[in-house]
Amino acid sequence: MPHTLILAYGNPLRGDDGIGPEAGERLRSMVHHPDVEIRTLHQLTPELMEPISRVARVIFIDACEGAVSGEIGERALEPSTAAMRFTHHVTPEGLLAGARALYGRAAEATMLTVAGEEFSLSSGLSPAVGRSLDGVVAAALRLLAGYA
Amino acid sequence: MPRQTIVIEPVTRIEGHSRISIHLDEEGNVEEAYFHVTQFRGFEKFCEGRPFSEMPSLMARICGICPVSHLIASAKACDAILAVRIPPNAVRLRRILNLAQIVQSHALSFFYLSAPDLLLGMDSDPARRNIFGLMESHAAIARDGIRLRQFGQQIVERLAGKRIHPSWVLPGGVNEPLSAAHRDRILEEIPEAVAIARRTLDWFKVEMEKFREEIRSFANFPTMFMGLVGADGALDHYDGKLRFVNAAGQVVEDGIEPADYAAHIAEMAHPWTYLKTVFYKPLGYPEGIYRVGPLARLNICDTLDAPLGAQEWAEFRELDRGPALSSFYYHYARLIELLYALEKTEQLLNAPDILDTHVRAHASANNSEGVGVSEAPRGTLIHHYKVDRDGLITWANLIIATGHNNAAMNRGVLQVARHFIHGNKLNEGLLNRVEAVIRAFDPCLSCSTHADGRQSLEVELLSHDGEVLDRCLTP
Repeated sequence: MPHTLILAYGNPLRGDDGIGPEAGERLRSMVHHPDVEIRTLHQLTPELMEPISRVARVIFIDACEGAVSGEIGERALEPSTAAMRFTHHVTPEGLLAGARALYGRAAEATMLTVAGEEFSLSSGLSPAVGRSLDGVVAAALRLLAGYA
Repeated sequence: MPRQTIVIEPVTRIEGHSRISIHLDEEGNVEEAYFHVTQFRGFEKFCEGRPFSEMPSLMARICGICPVSHLIASAKACDAILAVRIPPNAVRLRRILNLAQIVQSHALSFFYLSAPDLLLGMDSDPARRNIFGLMESHAAIARDGIRLRQFGQQIVERLAGKRIHPSWVLPGGVNEPLSAAHRDRILEEIPEAVAIARRTLDWFKVEMEKFREEIRSFANFPTMFMGLVGADGALDHYDGKLRFVNAAGQVVEDGIEPADYAAHIAEMAHPWTYLKTVFYKPLGYPEGIYRVGPLARLNICDTLDAPLGAQEWAEFRELDRGPALSSFYYHYARLIELLYALEKTEQLLNAPDILDTHVRAHASANNSEGVGVSEAPRGTLIHHYKVDRDGLITWANLIIATGHNNAAMNRGVLQVARHFIHGNKLNEGLLNRVEAVIRAFDPCLSCSTHADGRQSLEVELLSHDGEVLDRCLTP
């Protein structure tokens, strides 16, 4: 099992929500290390709790709503089951809480976000979010370098 | 007391968007009830003009939960247009993929969507009555459910490259053979999955005793049952002929070629729902109501060619003198199919030619029409296409499991509502039972994106002039 798991998620057919998978694919082409696993996903699901319990660190990459389009955010995450009422709406914090409750431990977790401006039915990123792709990939690489 | 309508919207823990309306008479008794499907998809129309070879990939986009089912039925319809016999190993690999889909989907339905009702109670706090509440109170069962779903998804990923919307199944076969490494990995993990399925069945058979009232009232009435059976009458999810069995267990029609489905079943639309109702043509509607899915499949087949599954099926058939009529038993049937699917997967993976690399036949369109039928987790799935001389789609008809079950679901909602709701006082636990009967069928209304967590269940009891008599709102 790798040391670090990157979960890059979002719906590429919802405009800027595709920044997560896009960043994940970019990282996949750049990172070739047995200790790093990169998964691109449409959405988070409860099945991710088990792999999260087996790695040392997990990095989530997602779009978010924000005042400044393209702004990159980074924050540490703690396990929490708040807002976890729907099977279709699983939060990163909820996955960490589930990993701890069901499998005894949760990875150290960091959330990377990019503020989007266009989430309607469309493919491709808005210019502001597209310009942040390099930045969020660089942030993930910096985190990986720090773990080494 | 004026006539009133209770509206439950959205119906929770199902695949897709819908609402239930319950109409009360002047005495407060349930007069009528409807299950309304409120989303509209339109795939039959907007695929017109596309090359038929694109259909499997296009149709897989109908749903994020059961893309594999649409992929398989669609590819089978395209095989018929090509008029080719696909390589035997492609059939085996498609069968394994279909069974993996059944494992992951049945695990989702049972553990994620219905187990909260079964374990935490129909009347328990709705804020905790979900998979996350289950993790806190029944961690071992939650772990088992997650593991089974993960196991099914991993097989889909190992065979088809990705878990959701894979494009591995093509007209004429599949596009890649199975690798020895993936075969061995899946075989290694099967015993663990079988152990989970067996202990879940053992537990649930005891647990069912607590749900006598639900068994009695959850869409428990005589209907016919329909599905595919193999040549020897065995349970079959990929191929075979269609069979209708009546409520007494007598075979009404057997050996129906899937391509002849339209001579035996018909569709009709109601003004209050986007979901069409399907019925047995010779009897008309509503006499021709029938059910499909796990309960139907176990009611119509003669045997299961997997030893553990067959043993459980024999016990299941002891429930009633004829077919099991209560839709509460869909849960039970689902677990038996889960066990069967794991055993069958192991059998297929141990076939001597399973690594054979000849997995696709090539041809152009040789027929102007094709029908593909398979058993999806929720029941019989029919894809029917017509093409022009250039192989472009001119007409498509899709009949999905939930359509076959639509009439029975509506009648089930009415039965549960009449059993549990009286007068003008509402109780969230009673209304949850109205939703739970729908969950037993595990309808798929095509889920795509969902709200951002602000959805809540709001139920209002209104008088005929709009006065709110009572109101329930989940926190």
